[in-house]
Amino acid sequence: MLRIKNLKCGYGRIMAIQGVSLSVRQGELISIIGANGSGKSTLLLAICGLLKTWDGEILFKDNDLKGMSPQSIVRQGISMVPEGRQIFAPLSVMDNLKMGGYTMYRKGLKKQVEQDLETIMDMFPILRERQNQLAGTLSGGEQQMLAIGRALMARPSLLVLDEPSMGLAPKIVEMIFATIQGLRQEGVTILLVEQNARAALKIADRGYVLETGKMVLQGSAEELLVDDDVKRAYLGKDYGNFYDGRD
Amino acid sequence: MQQMKNLTVEEKNQLKLERLQSTLNRAYKSVPFHRNRFIEKCMLPENIVSLSDIERLPFMNRSHLGLHYPYGLFAVPLRDIVRIHTAPGTGTNPSISGYTKTDLMIWQKLVARSLEAAGVTSMDILQINLPPGLANWGRDYKDGAENMGASVIPNSPLSLAKTLMVLRDYKTTTLVTTLAFAEQLMEHMFENERNPNEFNLKRIVLVGEPVGVEQIKNLEEHLHVDVWLNYGLSEIPGPAIAFECLHHCGMHINDDHILPEIIDPVTREVVPPGQTGELVLTTLSARAFPLIRFRTGDMARFTYNPCECGSSLITMDWLAERADTMMIISGIKISREQVIIYLKDALEASHPRCKLEKIRHGGTEILSISLVIDDSLFSDEIKNLEKLMVSTSERLAELTGVPVKITLTEKKD
Ligand SMILES: Nc1ncnc2c1ncn2[C@@H]1O[C@H](COP(=O)(O)OP(=O)(O)OP(=O)(O)O)[C@@H](O)[C@H]1O
Ligand SMILES: [Mg+2]
Ligand SMILES: [Zn+2]
Repeated sequence: MLRIKNLKCGYGRIMAIQGVSLSVRQGELISIIGANGSGKSTLLLAICGLLKTWDGEILFKDNDLKGMSPQSIVRQGISMVPEGRQIFAPLSVMDNLKMGGYTMYRKGLKKQVEQDLETIMDMFPILRERQNQLAGTLSGGEQQMLAIGRALMARPSLLVLDEPSMGLAPKIVEMIFATIQGLRQEGVTILLVEQNARAALKIADRGYVLETGKMVLQGSAEELLVDDDVKRAYLGKDYGNFYDGRD
Repeated sequence: MQQMKNLTVEEKNQLKLERLQSTLNRAYKSVPFHRNRFIEKCMLPENIVSLSDIERLPFMNRSHLGLHYPYGLFAVPLRDIVRIHTAPGTGTNPSISGYTKTDLMIWQKLVARSLEAAGVTSMDILQINLPPGLANWGRDYKDGAENMGASVIPNSPLSLAKTLMVLRDYKTTTLVTTLAFAEQLMEHMFENERNPNEFNLKRIVLVGEPVGVEQIKNLEEHLHVDVWLNYGLSEIPGPAIAFECLHHCGMHINDDHILPEIIDPVTREVVPPGQTGELVLTTLSARAFPLIRFRTGDMARFTYNPCECGSSLITMDWLAERADTMMIISGIKISREQVIIYLKDALEASHPRCKLEKIRHGGTEILSISLVIDDSLFSDEIKNLEKLMVSTSERLAELTGVPVKITLTEKKD
């Protein structure tokens, strides 16, 4: 579904992504894990057309995304829930959701937009409850649900999530992950970037490990969860200083 | 286990490219040997943008393994290593390889894949009979077969009689062994007029060396079994790199984890599709011990006719000739140079004249060395000389992992 080869991009002279290849197949849930500043968000920005230029190849359903505007990429079927959620605080919950359905609306699929609104408010009852409230007054967890709901309004075939658990209480994180898993079971293909590596790998089919703009490891979630390197760096286990290496 | 059956060619190649690139990134980051080789070529891992770009990288061979003894080629800290394997090597040092937990997990899956392709299921009783030099493989087969739920009788040194007793009484259905032992079994049954139907044996998985069609047919007819060939490397990284499926259409290479190339051993160029050459392997998922363009010395050729089993794995014919001068004894590769260097040392002879041969004694293959007695040796007392031969053959057996017999021959002028 999504196939990236040798992607290079960055900000001016900073090469944040240095030749990354990655793929997501129909129906998969893929997690990308990596430390702060390793380039996870940059990679997602490139996929969604939010970086002006990049080198390499990004194919989505066999279409080359090079040069496409963010809007046309949404029309291709990729929706992103950006880092820090970025909902429109001064707008109501309802209006935020409707904005997510904008491309559908423009296609004249008004009926479907109405229908999707219902589905999403069924999925997140709290959003129905607060539909007329200003989005800025929602709690962090509620805002995250709104951000996911808004992305789903575009009926994406690929949902891209950038650290949905960031800054949320453990209970809420659990709920968000359950939601993601639920979406996946409904057939949404998902690309998930997370700091919370263990939780992200537990629900994933496969994972990739990004390190300073380079992919250093990938494999089934099962393989990555037992990998000592991954454990040490991302799963918060400290092994102390054993005899460390050669010579 | 899925052999990438439901992947399109593009998806499969994408997966291989991704794995290759992260293997190179890890090797560059963690192994000075690999990093220096990139630097010598003025290259970075990111310059490898397609599978065929691998041709731009230098080769590895067995001598590199000994040179970086013991841990110089490991790509993870020792604390991440859960198993260490030793193989004879080609020079003065043995070659050592290591495995992380994930590495072992993947190997188990690959071994299980090769056994499943031979029709082994969780209902089977699998007996492993391998010489001491292939004990590493014995463990891998045990783990892989256990992983798929088969009942495993692990490798342990038993007499032929005991092995046969186990084979019969325990109702073994699958035997993993070398050609030498399988043929010994066949001869023994023939000599003792035993009916193979007394046994429950359904199949033999042969490891260690290429086996000719005639030899396989012979075994199948006399033992009433199906024979399957598996290809592996005895030093690293394991026994089930390639395997035969139910259709016996050549050997499927696990190229989702190990990338094969075939090169001309002289020009070192990749040969055109379908041509014969030396098999070169690159690991795509190994964490602890990445191999990048490792020259196996084995000769092979890719075959391109799609197999009925539907596997999208690359298929090869494994050929009898070799690209190097190594001997295969009971599936174990022996370096002639290493043996001669050792003899020089042990006998304090600058140019020992000797002939190395493989001979078979029962089900055991032996490295036979006929040594020409020259003046320097002859000056010794006969008793001392005998002692020296005994200790030398013992030490050589330990070094190579196969039994060694030294015979002295007169100098012929
Ligand atoms: N707008 C920007 N301008 C310049 N450099 C940037 C910009 N955004 C990110 N970077 C740099 O690019 C690199 C990758 O950043 P990125 O945000 O993609 O990392 P990340 O993996 O998402 O990190 P985090 O886990 O903190 O979100 C970092 O070195 C960062 O400093
Ligand atoms: Mg980020
Ligand atoms: Zn086949």
